[in-house]
Amino acid sequence: MIQFQYTRATAAKAALDAISRDKTAMFIAGGTNLVDLMKRGIVSPERLIDISRLPLTDITTEGKSLKIGSLALNSTVAENKTVQQKQPLLVQALNAGASAQIRNMATVGGNMLQRTRCHYFYDTALPCNKREPGSGCGALEGFNRMHAIFGFSEKCIAVHPSDMSVALVALDATVVVDGPKGQRRIPFIDFHRLPGDRPEIDTNLLPGELILGVEIPDNRFAKNVHYLKVRDRASYAFALVSVAAALQIEKKVIRDARLALGGVAHKPWRLSEAERALVGKPVSESTFREVAQLAMKGAKGFKYNEYKLKLTPNAIIQALKVASKLV
Amino acid sequence: MKFFDKVIGDPMNRVDGKLKVTGAARYSAEYQLPNLSYGVVVSSTIAKGRIRSIDSRAALRAPGVIAVISHENAIKVPGWADNEHPTEPPTGGRPLRAFYNNRVYSNGQPIAIVVADTYERARHAAMLVKAEYEEEKHETNFEKNKGKAVVPAVVKKNPKSGLADYERGKADAYKTASVRLEAEYVHPSEVHNPMELQAITAYWEADDKLIVYDKVQGTKPTQQAFANEWKIPVQNVRVISEFVGGAFGNGLHNWPHETAAIIAAKMVKRPVKVMLTREQMFFMVGYRPYTWQKIGIGADKDGRLTGIYHEAIGQTSSYEEFTESTLQQSKMMYTSPNIGTKYRLLPLDVSTPIWMRGPGEATGAFALESAIDELAFALNIDPVQLRLMNHTDTDPEKNLPWSTKYLKECIQVGAEKIGWSKRSLKPGGVRSGEWLVGYGMGVGTFGAHRGAAAVRAKLLANGSVVFQSAVTDIGPGTGTAMVQIASEHLGISPEKITFQLGNSDFPQAPNQGGSATVATVGSAVVATCQAMKERLLEMAPSADKRFANLKLEDVTFDKAHLSITRSPSVKVAYTELLKKQNLTELDVLQDSKPSQEASKYSRYSFSVHFAEVHVHPMTGQVRVKKVVSCADAGTIVNKKTAANQMIGGVTGGIGMALQEDAVMDHRFGRYVTKDLADYHVPVHADVPPVEVYFVDKPDYIVDPMGTKGLGEIAIIGVAPAITNAIFNATGKRIRELPVTPDKLI
Amino acid sequence: MSKINSRDQQSGESKSDSRRDFLKQSAVLTGAVLTPSIALKAAEAQWDEKLAEALEKIPLKLEVNGVSKSLMVEPRVTLLDLLREQLNLTGTKKGCDYGQCGACTVHVNGTRVLSCLTLAVMQDGRKVTTIEGLAEGDQLHPMQEAFLKHDGFQCGYCTPGQIMSAIACIREGHADSEEEIREYMSGNICRCGAYPNIVNAIVEVKKGGKKV
Repeated sequence: MIQFQYTRATAAKAALDAISRDKTAMFIAGGTNLVDLMKRGIVSPERLIDISRLPLTDITTEGKSLKIGSLALNSTVAENKTVQQKQPLLVQALNAGASAQIRNMATVGGNMLQRTRCHYFYDTALPCNKREPGSGCGALEGFNRMHAIFGFSEKCIAVHPSDMSVALVALDATVVVDGPKGQRRIPFIDFHRLPGDRPEIDTNLLPGELILGVEIPDNRFAKNVHYLKVRDRASYAFALVSVAAALQIEKKVIRDARLALGGVAHKPWRLSEAERALVGKPVSESTFREVAQLAMKGAKGFKYNEYKLKLTPNAIIQALKVASKLV
Repeated sequence: MKFFDKVIGDPMNRVDGKLKVTGAARYSAEYQLPNLSYGVVVSSTIAKGRIRSIDSRAALRAPGVIAVISHENAIKVPGWADNEHPTEPPTGGRPLRAFYNNRVYSNGQPIAIVVADTYERARHAAMLVKAEYEEEKHETNFEKNKGKAVVPAVVKKNPKSGLADYERGKADAYKTASVRLEAEYVHPSEVHNPMELQAITAYWEADDKLIVYDKVQGTKPTQQAFANEWKIPVQNVRVISEFVGGAFGNGLHNWPHETAAIIAAKMVKRPVKVMLTREQMFFMVGYRPYTWQKIGIGADKDGRLTGIYHEAIGQTSSYEEFTESTLQQSKMMYTSPNIGTKYRLLPLDVSTPIWMRGPGEATGAFALESAIDELAFALNIDPVQLRLMNHTDTDPEKNLPWSTKYLKECIQVGAEKIGWSKRSLKPGGVRSGEWLVGYGMGVGTFGAHRGAAAVRAKLLANGSVVFQSAVTDIGPGTGTAMVQIASEHLGISPEKITFQLGNSDFPQAPNQGGSATVATVGSAVVATCQAMKERLLEMAPSADKRFANLKLEDVTFDKAHLSITRSPSVKVAYTELLKKQNLTELDVLQDSKPSQEASKYSRYSFSVHFAEVHVHPMTGQVRVKKVVSCADAGTIVNKKTAANQMIGGVTGGIGMALQEDAVMDHRFGRYVTKDLADYHVPVHADVPPVEVYFVDKPDYIVDPMGTKGLGEIAIIGVAPAITNAIFNATGKRIRELPVTPDKLI
Repeated sequence: MSKINSRDQQSGESKSDSRRDFLKQSAVLTGAVLTPSIALKAAEAQWDEKLAEALEKIPLKLEVNGVSKSLMVEPRVTLLDLLREQLNLTGTKKGCDYGQCGACTVHVNGTRVLSCLTLAVMQDGRKVTTIEGLAEGDQLHPMQEAFLKHDGFQCGYCTPGQIMSAIACIREGHADSEEEIREYMSGNICRCGAYPNIVNAIVEVKKGGKKV
């Protein structure tokens, strides 16, 4: 880890000013990913602007939406009574992520911005276009068991590791940011990018922008949600595949649905077509099987992650069954 | 047969427990020596070749950097012979010599060490060191090179070695059995990954006097190794390993980072502390080797085994031969007139493996105990019955009686406690909601070894006794067990006894390993207590003449007093004798080694593990719901720590069965799963309640306490118990570990 | 202490190279504290190392186990390394340094966090409790007692982290069942595998009802 300058910001404006003056600077909040990356020499900011004490931690309801400050801790959000009541899917996803200690440190904004856990990204001795553009994708022909089956490019087949983001994309959240262009709102589904030719860029956040918070519109999903995370151990592991499922059910018929996947793409993977296919259908395993097949359109496996082509639809079916209380 | 109940509560707490729960226990990187400097090891990024140059200019300019040491400028270690490299592997080879020359034999090999005044500065400067290589083509792919496996050099040297090809009856007799099967099993490389990162603090007190605080499993073997390396008298090397934060075998070898730290300390003339990173733990401190196995097994229709053939190929490095007893269990566990084994090694451009808990026996038991389960299924016989039917009452390999063997009793108790009667012979027959329920079992065995050791005891005027042994305690509770043995044999309450260990200044003890510590060091404690009692009896007439001319068996030693057994009112306190003789202490040193008598018996510990496993058919998730482990390990000195050790073995077995996999990308010859996020070991949520039962029968042939080893049999047989249970739940036989969810959907 | 590397001395490298390098690494020089010209002079006068050391450290106030500390630390120093290497509080363990094992768990303002992923300077003004701060004199914390009684450890290396985490687990209200304990303790790896004993210890302390 190089020596760097450290500045603590006490107001969002000051943080934005500070970062606009120094291209080598980065924000730090929880530090749970950034400090790790700095130790391994994967990122080397010359200045850290500590935003962890900015007053962006509130969780409020405003009109028909829930607003969560970007610096609210993952554990604070998961333990919040309003969130538990209104957005249980988010709570489940948060609690499926990392460990209790990390959730006590990690912020909502930082969770969205965490980098991939691709083995090749994490080893500076191996090629990775995301870490070192032009060096090649180590995973493409390498050990790609954890990797993408949707939306990848030849440059990068890494997946986004966040659980929280899978729930947020399913729940139609909006990210509110501030920066050189002033405040703007980014639909969550557009927040993360696909790798394309520029895998080094994870999100559509512009340089110098600061996430202020996320907003989740009201919904009628509180009763029928499930976040299923399939992983190599029972806890504290990144997803092989995860599914965020939210259903609005009336008289055993699905009235509305939200469905998203984690661990399968460079971004949290929303399944809009599958959602539409669920609407109006009866709650039944056969409905879920059909929809799961639809969800897999365009999926492609690599040498070591072919299993995801089967595990993913299975996980979708299972998540829908649990959400709809079929099991 | 009496079994202890599930072990809970009472037995003695660990003597070092308070130090551990308060954070006061000091591990190798936790000694704050004056003028301490920090060393960070730089590792190679190629698997094979030569280092053309090392550019350390930027590192040397970085603030606080004291030295950058590599083969280009390292002092030569005087004890290293001047040959560059063993000519043609495998020759038995030799350990890697840090910074000896420009050769790279494996990825992640230490190529330099940066020393700085703070850890942060050393870590940063280490990233600034740049190496240029002349790369050579490497071979790290086991499966691709399997055909190149060779006979171990140790067998070439000694055809009677236990690793030589073995045949009893006809090796391939299974091929003509009425029910038979052949199967191949793959065990990936596993890494010990103790929670404490490998660490050493090295300091040259004088030009020829070295002190190391080192994470090792033996202070004496390490002392000898470093004395040889530096050509200095053995007593000039002090090795201190008071607390070892787990090791599981990786402290049974001295590794290049240790010598790197010692070289650095010599060159910068101040103490150097080195702690490896978690990635480096995968590349330079050993691992359980990737092993391919094949079993052919056959029985008659009633289930009597007629033949077992077991073959294994284990991976080793190009420069050093590592062998283990992968096939031992197949030679002696089951009655079969025909047995054949064949063990080979495959040298690759990787670092050297080392014993990892249960070592080869655990790897071998995965194959053998899976094959037994497969055969039972083919025969439509309950696997418990099949094992009982083919139980060996004497050792068929050595043609000797067992010293003790209570495996049958273990199997019976275990089957009852797991609820074996609920098991369906047909896979998939039991469900719990959506989950498929399966039951499986696996048997384990490991030699009940005992070595030679010496122990010192000092009885002090205040009535306390200090024992000393160079042995280490990597976690099982050695100090605690020794205090209990000493207490019983000296007639002094445990609170009065201190057992000092982990220091090469103390009397001789071997490595802590091979489940032999209690038998080896405990026997020396007993011998020392005996010697101390003889001395006390000699002194006793000075306090009371009636003790004159008595023999030890006439006297009772209890509550820190001697008394005449037939007239207990005649008694004298140990401390009284010191006073009478004007002594401030009574110092006794005694050694102890195995008896000749023992060689007339075949000596093994035995265990059986039963697992109840739930498998989710849609997602392939496996949850181990309950494990029952029964051990025939002779006298159990401390039921609390012993049960804990068993639970630990089960936890390791869960990792082996379901999670652990050090994956290498062979294009680079470099591990890709190399930290605790990518290389999974069990977490709390993976480990269910584990019930442990011990047979309450001493084995006095092995040692005077009647103990047999426990550490290895705790894990041997666990992985097949789980994979057999998975088969029973799903009908899926996975012969390549670990059984991750993708293999079950 | 002279640097050991004969190659470097032979390389005849120019001073300006070394100055550039110094400037690059001493990031503080791009800030407002010193103007570059002063720094350049300092570098030419070969004050670099001492200056760098002085300039790269910033003040930090912490209360550690009830004791107020006024320190000067480099911003890159993690709370874990500060505790272990500078404050000699080695009870907090380094098991991975990447937030993957929980051995370094401490409480900051009463909350369990991983000290290996925490920059010390970011905790300015806060209260840190480590394993060394739990016992009151000879009186062990109930969780320490329970770990002893239930043998919730073997080698002892993960133990401080397990205990700090276990206390927090009860405080957070996540110790209502064995299953919940297992889930909320999963961030603390024990390679010796003492998990069931640790769970028993936590259950007992929870049932004991004492404030932890």
